[in-house]
Amino acid sequence: MIEPWAESGALYGWILAMGILVGVSCGLVGNYLLLRRMALVGDAISHSVLPGLVVAFMLTHSRNIPAMFAGALVAGLITVGLIEFIHKKSRVKPDAAICIAFTTLFALGVVMTSLIDKGGLHIDAECILYGEIAFVPLEPPVEWFGIAIGPQPVLLMAGVALAVVGLSVVFYKELLVSSFDPGLTTSLGFNAAALHYGLMAVLSVVVVSAFEAVGAVMVVAMLIIPGMTAAQLSSRLPVRHGLVVVHSGISSLAGLHLSVWLNCSTAGAMVVMGALLFVLAWLFSPSDGLVWRWRRRGSDGSGEEGTVASPGGKV
Amino acid sequence: MNRGSLRWLGLAVLAFGCLFCTDVWAARISEIKEYSILEQAARFFTLRDPSLRNALIGSVLMGVSCGLLGSFLIVRKQALMGDALSHAVLPGVALGFLWSLTKNPLAIFVGATAAGLLGAATVHAVRTTTKHKEDAALGFVLAAFFAAGVCLLTMINNLPGAQKSGLDKFMFGQAAALGDGDVILMAVVTGLVVVILALGYKEFKVTSFDSGFARAIGFPAQGIHYTLMLLLAFSIVVSLQAVGVVLVSAMLVTPAAAAYLLTDRLGRMLLLAAVFGVVAGAVGSFLSFVGHDMPTGPLMVLAGSAVFAAALFFGPRYGIFARWWKQQSRAARTRRENTLKSVYHVLEKRSFQGDSVSWQELAEQRRETEDEARHLGDELCRHQLATRPRDQADLFLTPSGWQRACEIVRNHRLWELYLTNAAHMAADHVHEDAEKIEHVLGEDTVRELERRLNYATHDPHGKIIPGLADVQSGLPSLTRGGRAVGFGSDT
Amino acid sequence: MTAAVTSENPPPLEIHDLTVAYYKKPVLYGIDVTVPAGKLVGIIGPNGAGKSTLIKAAMGLLPASSGWVKIFGEPFHKACGRVGYVPQRESVDWDFPVNVMDVVLMGRYGRLGLFRRPTAADRDVARACLDKVKMLPFASRQIGNLSGGQQQRVFLARALAQESDLYFMDEPFSGVDAATESAIVVLLQELKDRGKTLLVVHHDLATAREYFDTLLLLNMRLVAFGPTAEVFTHEILQKTYGGRLTILSEVAEVVGRQP
Repeated sequence: MIEPWAESGALYGWILAMGILVGVSCGLVGNYLLLRRMALVGDAISHSVLPGLVVAFMLTHSRNIPAMFAGALVAGLITVGLIEFIHKKSRVKPDAAICIAFTTLFALGVVMTSLIDKGGLHIDAECILYGEIAFVPLEPPVEWFGIAIGPQPVLLMAGVALAVVGLSVVFYKELLVSSFDPGLTTSLGFNAAALHYGLMAVLSVVVVSAFEAVGAVMVVAMLIIPGMTAAQLSSRLPVRHGLVVVHSGISSLAGLHLSVWLNCSTAGAMVVMGALLFVLAWLFSPSDGLVWRWRRRGSDGSGEEGTVASPGGKV
Repeated sequence: MNRGSLRWLGLAVLAFGCLFCTDVWAARISEIKEYSILEQAARFFTLRDPSLRNALIGSVLMGVSCGLLGSFLIVRKQALMGDALSHAVLPGVALGFLWSLTKNPLAIFVGATAAGLLGAATVHAVRTTTKHKEDAALGFVLAAFFAAGVCLLTMINNLPGAQKSGLDKFMFGQAAALGDGDVILMAVVTGLVVVILALGYKEFKVTSFDSGFARAIGFPAQGIHYTLMLLLAFSIVVSLQAVGVVLVSAMLVTPAAAAYLLTDRLGRMLLLAAVFGVVAGAVGSFLSFVGHDMPTGPLMVLAGSAVFAAALFFGPRYGIFARWWKQQSRAARTRRENTLKSVYHVLEKRSFQGDSVSWQELAEQRRETEDEARHLGDELCRHQLATRPRDQADLFLTPSGWQRACEIVRNHRLWELYLTNAAHMAADHVHEDAEKIEHVLGEDTVRELERRLNYATHDPHGKIIPGLADVQSGLPSLTRGGRAVGFGSDT
Repeated sequence: MTAAVTSENPPPLEIHDLTVAYYKKPVLYGIDVTVPAGKLVGIIGPNGAGKSTLIKAAMGLLPASSGWVKIFGEPFHKACGRVGYVPQRESVDWDFPVNVMDVVLMGRYGRLGLFRRPTAADRDVARACLDKVKMLPFASRQIGNLSGGQQQRVFLARALAQESDLYFMDEPFSGVDAATESAIVVLLQELKDRGKTLLVVHHDLATAREYFDTLLLLNMRLVAFGPTAEVFTHEILQKTYGGRLTILSEVAEVVGRQP
């Protein structure tokens, strides 16, 4: 079990750090997405940042980080705008609108990547879908004052994670209120639309910085699975935020071990472990665990799925 | 019982279909190597080669089955179920492949279908046993299953001596790599989808529209739901080769959504969706064949999105353009009616002496410049509501123009009266509302208003309400003043 | 229809000790009621009293925690051919691509059974039912282009097309215009006069007395059931709507919160 650490601890250390950072920043944003029932908007944006990245690359001819962020931001906001446009201007329901919008943009991104020079962009099908978290430590390290601090993507992700933590502290009450009751938000004098688009912008940035590490699809997992697990265990938002951090720590570490053991995709293994944690919380949550419900039902000897026999009969 | 036997027939078809499918899949794996070579060669030849034929037939078949099933996803508001299921089949594909390396290659189809159904069941379980909403449940299944699939696929890639040929094609699809076996498999699945949807059309329709009612009349709504999910899983699995895991959902949703914008009948929607699916599939595979090294899936999706965009903008009934046009023509009609009303007011001020108005009078009445008034007057002339004889500068209303002017004024004043009498609003508060209502009151409502208002002759401001006789007989009747002729006549 | 073979006619609806819980929270406690044939029953009670839940549970659309329901002496799944249902208007998507005729034809589906297509005779029945609710001119209209009252009439026509003996109707008067409301009342009376049994969820106490001949007063448990003249008393209404039952809903909350 300690085998990977003995061989090349620093290497795995960076991968682990990256996993945790991605998990924390995605998970915090994901908590709000879940509260707003927008989990699949996360799915949509995680796919549709791709054309933004490609266009940014085509314009700058390099993997310029501000340009990539800008591209992703624009693509994310276009996605949200497109979804709203389709949904408001026709009778197509929001779920179908989400599906149409993101598949179109993603397809556009894939076609563009296959049109432009493949060698330079360094975004291929594998990277889009699997992510390359295992290669993170191999990126050139950033040097400050001549001292190598760490691989660039990890430092970047750390910056994003810090920003997300900072923002969710600063805007905690606004986000909480607007997620719970948009009407109340407006009456309290906050700008609900601005908060919405702000959240989408943060989501785009988080997604694009995690994109390279875990790929388009597994970003969705990073966004919602920690939050879902936390929601099984607590109904209070600050506690959920804390649980998200714990979740990403455990799933990253366990996932890393799993991937070394099975010799498979590290990002995939991290998500699988995260999903496993959700299943555990689902089954054994102290307040809401399925197992306790089953056992209760077994002892009561009646009741269908999702219901429990009531105490007493007539009152 | 007839009912029972039909049910058994359906089950038999289903079972036969499954068996046949797995059989055909066996052929595919062994042939895939040859076809990948053939595919390379085929790039240099144009339209006359088997791989293009296969690609075209395959995309057409896929378009049909995805369009049909997608229509049900749209009307059941489960569009994202397609997305979740298409990702959920991935571990099944990988497990099937892993198994087939050493044992039986038939497994992929079965594995993928099983994984898809497990995904659907997980969505249901998360939704019913936790507080999480549908979106979270779908997202969880999508991401978790996909991750498991990725783990397995990367494991396969890292296995010593394993050939991973074709597996990466599952991500974005390559229609040109479709073999004969694939196409036969697609044909079987598409046939199965068509047959089952045709047999159970009314069952699918009623459970989709009103599942409570369907259960109340004894239909097994849950069973029908899972039948749909099973067909969906079949259809997704065979489509993977052509469009890939990530974008199958678009083939399901986009053509069906386009059809949804064009018709109000489920049957026609199914047909249109199938046609759009075929168009998207064929165009996509053609483009992919022409362009070098282009994945098919994204091109098909873009073709489908183009169809959707066309329906969204140019749909005859619900299209954005059609609605904009309708709005414009309604606004224009309102504008003409307001001009007519102004003409009426001008005439009324002169107690209907003379039957024409000058630009100046019209402009004063409307508090506009003469140019603007002239512009509005010309518009009336274009619609035969007024005329302007060449030797005169004044505007004359035609009989139809006069009739409409009377109607509008009558509507306006009746409504004002109704609001003050029945709704007890102050007389100076009712004008604004009447300005809007006057253009939309139907003839029946007007009759009803007249009756309720006891055929009143004056509005709250003391002005005469033109009656039916005035509308029909032209100016003179009103000039008599007092009770206008005709109010009593249509009782 | 052949005559019933049983010597005694079982009652259209018999509910015994029915308890229903949504997730974990009980909403109906131990309902015991037997509805005789040919009655027009109004189900009355305050918000959250479990009115809709009662009829849904009677049709097996919601699982019961305990107790049983018999329809014409049989469990629901055997007798469902004799039951008509009008769900709440909000329960369906009115953008659904079907027209008025399609919806009314759905009333015939139960008789057709699985996999059989509606015939010309079914269309005739559907047309007659539409005529009865004065919606025949709208037969080919998309259902979303109807007013609330018209939508409710379509649902009623669908229930008529079921040609059932026992009808469950969930708030058929909610959100309809006055003309539709009186048309529905006439229709209900007519069905009752033809020997049908009807259970109608109704929320307007003011009209309940004139619309129904029998009332079922509900507030999480059965408060009273009987002829309107007998049960529409100040005392019973006080019991149904009064505040004395708060303890019952409090207990339900506590049970709901338990793991």
